[in-house]
Amino acid sequence: MLEQNHGYWYLASYPKSGNTWCRVFITELLRLAGEEQGPELDLNNDIETGAIASSRLWLDDQLGVNSCDLSFSELDPLRGSAGQTAWLFAEGERFHKVHDAFKSPDSRNRPVVSTAGCLGAVYIMRHPEDVAVSLSHFFSWPLERCVQFILDPTAALVPSERNGGHQVRQHMGRWDQHVCSWADQQQLPVLIIRYEDMLCNGSTTFAKLADFLGLPVEQVLVDQAIANTSIDKLKQLEEKVGGFAEKPEGCNRFFRSGRSGEGAEQLSIPQRQQLAAEMADVMKCFGYEGVEDDV
Amino acid sequence: MSTLNFQYQAFGFNLASDIPLPELSEKLLIANEQNSISVVSGNYENWPSIEASPHSTQCLQLAAKEWRLALESIGWFRAAAGESLEYQRWDDSVSNRDLRTFLVTSGLGALAIQRACLVLHGTALELNGEAVLLLGRPATGKSTLSWCLQQHGWQLISSEIVVVDKNKKIWPGVQQLKLWHDAAVALDLDWQHLPLVRRGLKRYALLGDQLNCLESAAPLRCIYQLMRERQQSKSEADVLAASIKSSQAFSQQHALLLLRNNAFHARVVRGMECEQQLFMQASALARSVPIYTLRVPDGIRAMKKACAMVDLLDPASIQEPNIEEGNKGESDA
Repeated sequence: MLEQNHGYWYLASYPKSGNTWCRVFITELLRLAGEEQGPELDLNNDIETGAIASSRLWLDDQLGVNSCDLSFSELDPLRGSAGQTAWLFAEGERFHKVHDAFKSPDSRNRPVVSTAGCLGAVYIMRHPEDVAVSLSHFFSWPLERCVQFILDPTAALVPSERNGGHQVRQHMGRWDQHVCSWADQQQLPVLIIRYEDMLCNGSTTFAKLADFLGLPVEQVLVDQAIANTSIDKLKQLEEKVGGFAEKPEGCNRFFRSGRSGEGAEQLSIPQRQQLAAEMADVMKCFGYEGVEDDV
Repeated sequence: MSTLNFQYQAFGFNLASDIPLPELSEKLLIANEQNSISVVSGNYENWPSIEASPHSTQCLQLAAKEWRLALESIGWFRAAAGESLEYQRWDDSVSNRDLRTFLVTSGLGALAIQRACLVLHGTALELNGEAVLLLGRPATGKSTLSWCLQQHGWQLISSEIVVVDKNKKIWPGVQQLKLWHDAAVALDLDWQHLPLVRRGLKRYALLGDQLNCLESAAPLRCIYQLMRERQQSKSEADVLAASIKSSQAFSQQHALLLLRNNAFHARVVRGMECEQQLFMQASALARSVPIYTLRVPDGIRAMKKACAMVDLLDPASIQEPNIEEGNKGESDA
């Protein structure tokens, strides 16, 4: 048994930054440690899909109303109080994917996620140039649109006020705003990990993650979990289940390349310059190099 | 003391209200009528303290025969003992429309549960003297499908919340369809002249004179759990080829689970200590009325087209033999 089995954690990230990989790793680590059942990881059954904190079903249950009847400026301030009684979080999964920024412009300076009973957050970040390429494949958008999305202070998932859906609007803002919203908040303990370190320095990075989350930390288990969730393994598993449930319409495969550095190869110099110029401070702070104007 | 100038009927109850509730069916004003549910403004600070159920949340305070909802920037609401529905505005900027949105859905639903009714998330329609019930959580397309079916003679009995009585009859309730902007456009509605559900939402309210509504109870023929089927493409050929299909009838066990999961606010049922009541009522309904999955095209134009060729009163006519009994994997909500 885990020591802390009544709390929950957030796995927060800007989309396409390695959140799913983290969740798959955690599930596999628990399976190897004998805390989850099954002879092999089953992507669509073992991985909690969707984000409960932005799930309309979850919010409707907590608020007692149809959240479609609330505007963004009414819903966002209430979202953080959903789950304060900790009942459902305690009953349900312990690791929750979140793509929202910690606060939204509509949330009246309150977190849009519940912090009551939350043990902490892992914030997973990735070089914005690579995020742009991955977004492009995921949403079937041109690269230029993805670059502008990353720089858009109003960027959100499910942003439309014109239709409903199973998830509510998730405000992200610019990539650097998103990073700071989680990295600088003081309400939850946070561990920041970089996708690039998960790739290049997996043993140490994932061991740090496991330790932070109170998971088994035996290095042999951590290394085996890393090996079992390599991009090639995940591609095979995705093929086996006929497509990962989180893959959107029009996207050929969820697990694609997993490489870092694709942004530098595929974005134009002006696109890279724009990213670097507008987000230099935060990029540098987390060790991300961009292209300077005089290149 | 408020004057209860407005009288309505919903779910077989009489209501006397101090604000207009056009989503409900009007009733002739009868002076000093007894046994009406009152819908009145109140002061939440004067409401008696309660020992709140552990199923309560920050917004919802629940106890036996007691339901309280606090919505920041909108107001406070209370349903008590199946007899009264009270509200208080957050401030003067809150309109009657804002209040009604929550009074006639969550409030009335809680009140009906307090009055020992089986209340389900769904929309009910009638044709040729028989009713069908479309189940599904918000945003599954019940209103859009209902609008499409209205164009083929179906009458609306109730939307969002539906009450089924012990004789398996459905009573007129909330007679309003809410359509998102995208649906209103796809259905060629004159959306610029439709009232908004609430200010600030791109969602339109279709009420009385824009709908064909049934004024009396109708026996329930069958129940469908709505499922939107992703289209391969939005090409004209796919729109033309789209169809609506039903599954085989659910087993009673699965039907019971599905009804329980579609109960109007499971948390509210539990918090008001009505779980046993729900179980008994849902079991009885699962035994006597067949339940199917109804697969409808995701695209609104395709849904509209497919509606013209479907007889929902005859599930056998739209059954696909190879579709197994609905949601085998339906899990607890």
